[in-house]
Amino acid sequence: MRQLNETKNDDICALATPVGRSAIAVVRVSGPNARSILQGLCIKLSPEIESHKAYLAYVYNSQSEKIDQVLVTYFQNEQSYTGESSFEVSCHGNPTIVKKVLERLIQLGARLAHPGEFTFRAFINNKIDLIQAEAVLSLIESQSDEATKISLRQLDGKVSDLFKKLESEMTWCLAHIEASIDFSTEGIDIVNDSGLIHKLKDLNEELNRLIEGFGHGQIIKYGLKVTLLGKPNVGKSSLLNTLVQSEKAIVTEIAGTTRDVIEAQTQYNGMAIYISDTAGLRETTDVVEKIGVNRSLAEIKKSDLNLLVLDVTEPLSEDFKQNLTLFKGQKFAILCNKSDLINADQKKQISQELAGLIGGVQKLPGSLSFNFGKQVLFTSSIEMACRNDVLNLVLAQFESLDFLDESIVSSARQIEMVNMAKEYVEKSIAELSSGLGSEFIAQTLKDALLAIQKVLGHVYDDQILDRVFKEFCLGK
Amino acid sequence: MKQTFDVLVVGAGHAGIEACLASARFGLNTLLVTTNTERIGYMSCNPSIGGLAKGHMVREIDVLGGQMGTAADRSCIQYKRLNASRGPAVRGTRTQNDKHIFSQIQRNAILNQPQLKMIEAEVKKLILKDGACLGVVLHDGSEIFAKRTVITTGTFMNGVMHIGLEQTSGGRVGDKASIGLSDQLLDYGFTVQRLKTGTPARLDKNSIDWSKTIPQFGDEKFYPFSYQSKKEFYLPQVECYLSRTSELTHDIIRNNLDKSPMYCGVIEGAGPRYCPSIEDKVMRFADKISHQTFLEPEGLNTNLIYLQGISTSLPADVQDQFLKTIAGLENVKVVRYGYAVEYDYVEPTQIHHHFETRPLKNLFLAGQINGTSGYEEAAAQGFLAGVNAARSVQEKSPFILGRDEAYSGVLIDDLVTKGTREPYRMFTSRAEHRLVLREDNTSDRLLERSSELGLVPTEALDKMAALTEKRRNFQNELEAHVLYPNAETNRKVSEMGSSPLTKPLTAVEFLRRPEIAFSHLEILGVAVDSQDEVRDAVEIEVKYSGYVKKQLEVIRLSKTLGDFNIPNNIPYENIRGLSREEVDKLKKVKPITIGQAQRISGVNPSAIQAIMIYIRGNNLSSPSVLI
Repeated sequence: MRQLNETKNDDICALATPVGRSAIAVVRVSGPNARSILQGLCIKLSPEIESHKAYLAYVYNSQSEKIDQVLVTYFQNEQSYTGESSFEVSCHGNPTIVKKVLERLIQLGARLAHPGEFTFRAFINNKIDLIQAEAVLSLIESQSDEATKISLRQLDGKVSDLFKKLESEMTWCLAHIEASIDFSTEGIDIVNDSGLIHKLKDLNEELNRLIEGFGHGQIIKYGLKVTLLGKPNVGKSSLLNTLVQSEKAIVTEIAGTTRDVIEAQTQYNGMAIYISDTAGLRETTDVVEKIGVNRSLAEIKKSDLNLLVLDVTEPLSEDFKQNLTLFKGQKFAILCNKSDLINADQKKQISQELAGLIGGVQKLPGSLSFNFGKQVLFTSSIEMACRNDVLNLVLAQFESLDFLDESIVSSARQIEMVNMAKEYVEKSIAELSSGLGSEFIAQTLKDALLAIQKVLGHVYDDQILDRVFKEFCLGK
Repeated sequence: MKQTFDVLVVGAGHAGIEACLASARFGLNTLLVTTNTERIGYMSCNPSIGGLAKGHMVREIDVLGGQMGTAADRSCIQYKRLNASRGPAVRGTRTQNDKHIFSQIQRNAILNQPQLKMIEAEVKKLILKDGACLGVVLHDGSEIFAKRTVITTGTFMNGVMHIGLEQTSGGRVGDKASIGLSDQLLDYGFTVQRLKTGTPARLDKNSIDWSKTIPQFGDEKFYPFSYQSKKEFYLPQVECYLSRTSELTHDIIRNNLDKSPMYCGVIEGAGPRYCPSIEDKVMRFADKISHQTFLEPEGLNTNLIYLQGISTSLPADVQDQFLKTIAGLENVKVVRYGYAVEYDYVEPTQIHHHFETRPLKNLFLAGQINGTSGYEEAAAQGFLAGVNAARSVQEKSPFILGRDEAYSGVLIDDLVTKGTREPYRMFTSRAEHRLVLREDNTSDRLLERSSELGLVPTEALDKMAALTEKRRNFQNELEAHVLYPNAETNRKVSEMGSSPLTKPLTAVEFLRRPEIAFSHLEILGVAVDSQDEVRDAVEIEVKYSGYVKKQLEVIRLSKTLGDFNIPNNIPYENIRGLSREEVDKLKKVKPITIGQAQRISGVNPSAIQAIMIYIRGNNLSSPSVLI
């Protein structure tokens, strides 16, 4: 039922240009709150902007960090395509940026539009006539047909089963809660609160797995972003050139040659990998180099994987440990570079030293568990095997990609629903723990169930009651 | 002799009583026809009124001018408020009732009602002409004409009673079935189907060993259903008793299933899943070694005991056998054996929201004939059908309650939109807005509708309005009262087991803490209203404001679609983008608004968009009247 309630009075957003890499991507937003959403998206934008004029602005995420420099155009009520207050954001055509812009819009209260919904609104608001509307209708038909086909294809195997299982388990929880309300005097065996909490926590884990899988799905679709980081002159630029098999970066003996982020692409095992070379990390008074270092640091959070490059001919520096803490909450691996210059015994010694240091780092809050064998590699950009070794190491950090293939949710709309379900499941767990009345918990869980049912594309309203009758022996 | 009435009501059960009283109270010349004038408002099954969602409906029709609440309050011999401890927004009232006194009160209400006449007669058929119902023909051939006819025949249409493999015609023990009516409806193109219900044995109080049962007491505090009732019990209060079946009981039942009409396929109609017979319970929940049963007195001056939860259609000798294996019933004497009833009902998607049938004008259906079960479901429908029959005579617009206004509104909308395949009972989970549809705020939410209707005297409405006002004022006072984090206050707050204040808080904000109740506010010197009925509603509104607000928001959004009318002549087959199945469903249900169309199962969101585009595009402004 929610689906249509949303056809009016709320704010919708969508990518208006084709999915994939391009020079520019346009994201469109329409709805009564478009103006305030725009202000939330571009916090530095002057509130006095005029309709139908393009403005240069920055898009920020919820932590007030810049996502991208963009052009925004605002359209006042009735002077827009949809007949509602709306705006367009032209951002750089990088899927990761587009994803972040859309995520931010959803945080600000918009939701992803249904197929043909912008045009549908234009029709409802008398901006287009019946002939045009007929075209919309066939669009809705064909798109929903296509969407159905796609979602059917997608929901054919494991994903579908997974969602059905989630749906069934949520219904089970709701059946117990509903039965405790409507049949409180009938002496039926209802699971207690801690049993329910247990079940809901399991459900939440499933949802988390889906969300993680989505991240992986995005990688498969849009490629993997890998960043090379480290002190100056450890050989990052040579590594980049080796990995992409082209002289992309200038390589010199002079420390600090690379001043800006250099990105290059390569293909490996059918996967697009984007590798960034960055300015070496060091304290510097050089203004240009300083900006470069800051850019290097900014790359860390944008990457799917960070590779910390060490020079094995140099002693491990004091700030090594500190550099590792930069990767808190991020995937990372260590490349011990220039290994052609040392012997086996020295390698062993360095390994031990590293293991000891990393052992300490692991205790830092938020750092990932560290698998030494999997996350440390000796490299030398002059050796033949270098490229394969490094790229194998990169892919090994995402090995769950292989076995997850079929059970990945890849549509943004679906993952929006999964995130929503997770939010509600977590809320219901908190509510149960606080001893709140069942009727309120039921409302929260119903929202979670609805989100899952939207992914499956069906909503059965009598499903919960059916389950109650099946589950419990009732009868007065 | 030709007699003419404004409104004719057939059947004097819980639906019929409300229908004829509502019509007569509007001042219309009303006739009630019943086969048995001694059994007015007879409680054919359990001696109890209300419960979750059902009790809500009793209160709703009471505020609108209905009758059931008054009779339930005055015949109450045990009172319970369900979900009192956990579930503040889903509390429900249930009474055990003296069946005889209940029926007596209803009979007197009818006999004393001006403009209402009652006769004892059997209705043979309807008088039909040009797609309209003009009245009825009685068994003696006499004709009664009426501008509107309301049929509330309950389980009597082609009723068949089953005890074991024996069958007798009848809608209830001691009452004849009405034959012929459903055939006539069938002939006219109605879909008529069969349902089944059952009732347990009635036992002799003096043959029960009460020491083996556990007494169940009612509440001491009485919150009557009706605004007209006193807040003290009218009758002495009694106990019910709890007992249990044993494995021996289940063995006997299992060994005799070949004599059960349910299990031999003799009964075709679907029974209620929420109220299965003991045969069903034993078979479907085979791993349960015992089922509970309540022994409920049917009144103060009767020896009859109702055995709740043990409805059965096994033969008498088997009933005797298994009953004796229930604790306390070792020497039980059965006064009347349990039985099942099969009866005809009219698929309710064939009526409008105002209870008039689609195929036949001036004919209204209410109660079990629409596939529902329960006294309260019947009463709510009877009341609304009577109101609408009367308003239609007066040429006034239909009176339809929304799903967001009342459980009674959910009831009729579900019936009309979804139909039913088992006896339909109301549950709180059927109402998507249940946090808003509470017992405590019944008068708040229906006051305006009641005054629009005009059945409740102005003074009574003013009193309800005063209560609403009092609640609002009390809540405003709490909003305005600020608690400051001084040492004295925080010492008291800590003693309450709550965390100290770090900044000034209003009493409302403080009350939102889960551990805080009004008694705590009083300790902090906040003036708290002394009336429960003021406090309870405010507490829910304040403590759970986030949840309540969310439902109100959903209601606001769905109103937009609820207000989007669909013209009744819309050619669904011409609309692009609808599947064959969707067209069939839409044509059958004939939704009056987009909101209703959306609730039809199997109609997809894209279909709804297509319909909206069609209506807008063809400038089909829908007629203002929804008929």
